[in-house]
Amino acid sequence: MTDLWPCIEPLLAQTERPARYVNHEFGCTYKPHADFNYVLVYPDTYELGQANQALRILTNCVNAVEGMWAQRGFLPAVDMIALMREAGVPLFSVEGCAPLKEFDIVGITLPHELAATNVLEVLDLAGIPLRAADRGEDDPLVFGGGPCAFNPEPYSAFFDAISIGEGEESTVETCQLVRSMKRAGATRAEILHALAQVPGTYVPLLYGWYSCEEAQQRGTWIYPLQEGLPTHIDKRVFEGFAESPAWEPAVVPFTEVVQDRLNVEVLRGCARGCRFCQAGMMYRPVRERSAKNIVDSVCAGLACTGYDEVSLTSLSTTDHSQIESILTQLNQRFDGKGIRLSVPSQRLDSFGVSMAHLVAGQKKGGLTFAPEAGTQRLRNVINKNVTEEDLFAAVDAAVEAGWRRCKLYFMIGLPTETDDDVKGIARLSQQVYERMRKAVPPEQRGFLQVSVSCALFVPKAQTPFQWDGQIPPEEAMRRVNLLRNSVKAKAVRITWHDPSTSFVEALMSRGGRELCDLVELAWRKGARFDAWTELFCEEAWRYAAEELGIDPAALAQATYETSYVLPWSHISTGTSARWLARERRCAQREQTTPDCTYDICSGCGACQRLGVNNQLAGPRIPAGSNAVGEVR
Amino acid sequence: MEQQVFRLRALYAKQGRLVMLSHLEVAESLRRAVRRAGLPFAVSQGFSPHMKMTFSAALPVGVGSTCEIFDLYLTEYVPAERAFAALAAASVPDLMVSACAYVEPKAKAAGVAFPVGVYAAEFSGAAEGLVFPQVVTVQRAKKKPKTHVVADYLRGEAVAQGRTLTFALEALPTGSLRPDYLLAEALRAHNETADSPLALLSCTRIDQRDESGISLVASLSPLSGEI
Repeated sequence: MTDLWPCIEPLLAQTERPARYVNHEFGCTYKPHADFNYVLVYPDTYELGQANQALRILTNCVNAVEGMWAQRGFLPAVDMIALMREAGVPLFSVEGCAPLKEFDIVGITLPHELAATNVLEVLDLAGIPLRAADRGEDDPLVFGGGPCAFNPEPYSAFFDAISIGEGEESTVETCQLVRSMKRAGATRAEILHALAQVPGTYVPLLYGWYSCEEAQQRGTWIYPLQEGLPTHIDKRVFEGFAESPAWEPAVVPFTEVVQDRLNVEVLRGCARGCRFCQAGMMYRPVRERSAKNIVDSVCAGLACTGYDEVSLTSLSTTDHSQIESILTQLNQRFDGKGIRLSVPSQRLDSFGVSMAHLVAGQKKGGLTFAPEAGTQRLRNVINKNVTEEDLFAAVDAAVEAGWRRCKLYFMIGLPTETDDDVKGIARLSQQVYERMRKAVPPEQRGFLQVSVSCALFVPKAQTPFQWDGQIPPEEAMRRVNLLRNSVKAKAVRITWHDPSTSFVEALMSRGGRELCDLVELAWRKGARFDAWTELFCEEAWRYAAEELGIDPAALAQATYETSYVLPWSHISTGTSARWLARERRCAQREQTTPDCTYDICSGCGACQRLGVNNQLAGPRIPAGSNAVGEVR
Repeated sequence: MEQQVFRLRALYAKQGRLVMLSHLEVAESLRRAVRRAGLPFAVSQGFSPHMKMTFSAALPVGVGSTCEIFDLYLTEYVPAERAFAALAAASVPDLMVSACAYVEPKAKAAGVAFPVGVYAAEFSGAAEGLVFPQVVTVQRAKKKPKTHVVADYLRGEAVAQGRTLTFALEALPTGSLRPDYLLAEALRAHNETADSPLALLSCTRIDQRDESGISLVASLSPLSGEI
């Protein structure tokens, strides 16, 4: 493959943070004699994507196959893109500095809804035709995957194949299939047809798209254009997750990146059943790695990478049945070694005094909790299953263990939200601050800080709230202002997400195939790096929508009956549509549903449909209000 | 009682693509190499415990070196040869250690022990016609421009040989003149009038000297004795 380094090097003196482009990091894999080349691209800059778990896991999986080389790719920063375009340098992989166009497969992960225009920036900078339909025999196959693949339609025109669910096995299977077919001289069309037979793989080009009216009558939006194609695509689950080692080789970057630490995935899946949460629906069933696996992996990972910080990652780490044993063992091993241990996503009901001491370590920055809603009524609607008492107990434990700053996550615009719920956020935050104030000596009160971060509710595909609309941006700002005016204490700081980016998120989350044209036109009008506040170009999206006759507000804000067939009905996370509809009805009645890893099965259908059950390392013991059954 | 520590000095190079790393990026990468090497490093006490390690004067992004040092404080004595082998195994090729030795605990800090840096700059053509300006004005983001008188920093004569220009700059307590800024200014002036413009291909720190002129490289006996 071509080595573009001689073309890239002269550009580096003019770029910011050139260390992003030099590669040669510790832990890189080089297989220059491979006969099959795969590149996995994170559609944003190196510092945002380098720590991405999908990149690490999937490149490791492919690199484990003889003769296959998986490299990483990132979108350069805006200044470097401009220099590359001026100099005619195409997008390149990290390890080999090879043009993306020369790879057999270009994989692009879809980490969030604001990455769509960056996908086109990647393809265009690489010199690959934007649309799958326009690609020829010599072009690479472009694969998509990741969280946003659960509603693949707004991206469908740009990908040859989209991988649904966990890619540990399917990525290797598809790579092997493509390699063997290419060797045998198969055409692109033949390869695409074969790929569509691989479980968990969606090949959009092989399916037609009904009109809305027809889709509602037929119960699906897609129809196969060829014989022998599946009409329903179930996600893939990596059944061997729990037994697989939690440590696997990682690249150690030279330059500072987000989450620049050893990340050890302790469990996958969360069955708490928060009704707005897409991750909670898409990673079922719950699979825990054992305490021994985790502790050994953390020690091996730190020794191999040289990191001084480790994060025990998952959707809900404190839910791990052996979390106390894991933290106790790790604290003992790291004593006096300057290693920081971080546990993201603390559950309010399981963060007691002992947990506070176990995750305390020596350096106490802030601690984050997510009550999500300001009143018990609304928390029941969203099935959060935590109470005010849980929050207060967690804050008391944190203050007692030495924390002085705390961050609370809430959502604005959840279904059924009223002004009283918004004021409830202010009430709860003030109460938290007052408790902290009372618990610390007077001379420390000045250090206390409560940050309240509000996200605008985005209806996510494959969740019980997928039928619910988003509130208009003006209404979102009214509620944010109501909240701001309701908070009196100066130490309680309110921050909120820009509603204008949230409408793009809502569009991409619940739109259909017609959005491909919108994404492309918005990109042509200058939209890219939409997740960067300073680079987000709302006009590009608005003008593009206007030109195409799409009403973005109607799409984002529409609320449907549960009988409405949604544009992703042919893609399944394993949870049944009937269960999602039932959950939505429960939400309307303010009824909660238990977590099946603590309680009885809630009937979501994932285990039966996917043929994989919850795999816990030990029994889970409910804590806080859930221990005494206050919520249920 | 204060814990006994052993001060290990390591010589390393910053070369190849990694000349594009900043000083902070180099420092963090070396700390990680030390951890990978499994050496018994000392950890500072206090709110934010961290590895006790100091570095020679910062190199700008884009400037390489054959002779950088860091001092690592160890809680146990490890023979220098063994420490060197462990560090070399844990380092990336372009940020590679080349020697290790113990120095006196009270020796001058790595960052100030060798205030004079000797640089070799490679150009696209003959370096002979290149003349250093008398002053270099540096404009940094959100700060007032600062004017450096080159003679205050330049030690000895700049020597041109073929495409290479060798010169020495001293870091003063009041500040330093970056070699890349000096070269950029010299090139700008040269290219304004020259028939064929010159381009800078690379700039490398090839030696560091202490105040009495003793060379870090010359005083070094790899893997044994003291640096």
